[in-house]
Amino acid sequence: MAVTRQIHPLDKHLRLERIPTLYCPGCGLGIALGALLRALDKRISEGAINPDKVLWVGGIGCSSRMVFYVNYDAAHVIHGRAIPFALGAVLANPDLLAIVTGGDGDIAGIGGNHLIHAARRNIDMIVLMFTNFVYAMTGGQVAPTTPRGVSTTTTPRGNPEYPVNAVKLVGSLNANYVARASVTTPHYIEQFFYKALGMRGFRFIEVVSTCPEIYGRHIGLRDPVEMYSELRKRIKYKHKPSLEEAEIDWERGIVIGEFVERSNPSLIEILKGVRS
Amino acid sequence: MEAQPSLLSRTTGKYRVSVVIDRCKECGICIFVCPIKVLVKSSVLNKYGYHPPDPVNIDKCIGCRLCEYNCPDFAIYVEKVV
Ligand SMILES: Cc1ncc(C[n+]2csc(CCOP(=O)(O)OP(=O)(O)O)c2C)c(N)n1
Ligand code: SF4
Ligand code: SF4
Ligand code: SF4
Ligand SMILES: [Mg+2]
Repeated sequence: MAVTRQIHPLDKHLRLERIPTLYCPGCGLGIALGALLRALDKRISEGAINPDKVLWVGGIGCSSRMVFYVNYDAAHVIHGRAIPFALGAVLANPDLLAIVTGGDGDIAGIGGNHLIHAARRNIDMIVLMFTNFVYAMTGGQVAPTTPRGVSTTTTPRGNPEYPVNAVKLVGSLNANYVARASVTTPHYIEQFFYKALGMRGFRFIEVVSTCPEIYGRHIGLRDPVEMYSELRKRIKYKHKPSLEEAEIDWERGIVIGEFVERSNPSLIEILKGVRS
Repeated sequence: MEAQPSLLSRTTGKYRVSVVIDRCKECGICIFVCPIKVLVKSSVLNKYGYHPPDPVNIDKCIGCRLCEYNCPDFAIYVEKVV
């Protein structure tokens, strides 16, 4: 039986009957969820967001499953289709604040085409993509973000393909906000999400996460603390980095920061005729 | 039904650090990120078979909340004692 009485400062934002999560011990996704809820809590307590208008949408995977744990309206939809579901919701009710969570496989792979066109159309929603470099929930198959050379369940002799860089991809389109943080820097996840919550249009935050159980096993970092510490060593915060600096290179490091900030008219603003 | 969740809690001087025993998954991240080494793995066994941390060196705690912010399982939190 879960501990259902509220004790932790974030408990009011959680469905306590579903805690502990199904996540493996030391999975970075829980760290990220905590940071997101602190930012949301701040916006709600400042009166900027009505919690009844918040809608979380997730596809399939460990990352998408986050929406299962939040004490808000939430939809757990089919793999890769969280963005079109959120689009339908905000078109039907433009007062909603749609927050999409998903893995690198769900958002950049299976739902990759939705990502491109949602960014191009500057659709009013926040997309949080958790990059753990594999399809984790199903056992660590190669993902479109898997670095070259890494052996996964489906690339036992090393991944021969080049990965997609979601920050560069989304940044090259019409998104109003593109940022990247890491689970080893929860304060930046909180800061960037807080900023995104105050903006309009398409907002994309990539969170580099740790998956000690599956990805860690593939790269020899099975221990949660070891994986956390190896990732933390490689994360470099930069003030307003360029999209060229978004390259993910495990040896040379991973730049985090706010890559793109724009105030282009959003799809809802255009449809309402308030901006063109 | 669980009425009273059991906490492993220590207070001295300025801060109280509390661990929700049955939420901990013994990942060790809080112990690793604490800059002062306040936390030590305890011999307590929770209902899932994990050993939660114990803030044994609480008198040295600086209240930075890094343990709270880096726990993936909402299992540890820090309060200022007034
Ligand atoms: C249409 C469809 N194809 C495949 C699957 C199987 N499947 C479930 S989760 C998953 C991987 C998800 O990977 P990712 O989005 O990276 O999330 P992670 O688990 O890594 O957080 C896959 C392929 C599915 N559920 N539906
Ligand atoms: S498989 Fe990986 S991503 Fe999924 S819960 Fe376990 S550690 Fe986290
Ligand atoms: S608040 Fe900071 S110093 Fe105190 S136990 Fe937590 S991490 Fe350690
Ligand atoms: S970080 Fe949380 S789950 Fe991990 S050992 Fe500490 S209290 Fe337990
Ligand atoms: Mg993944």
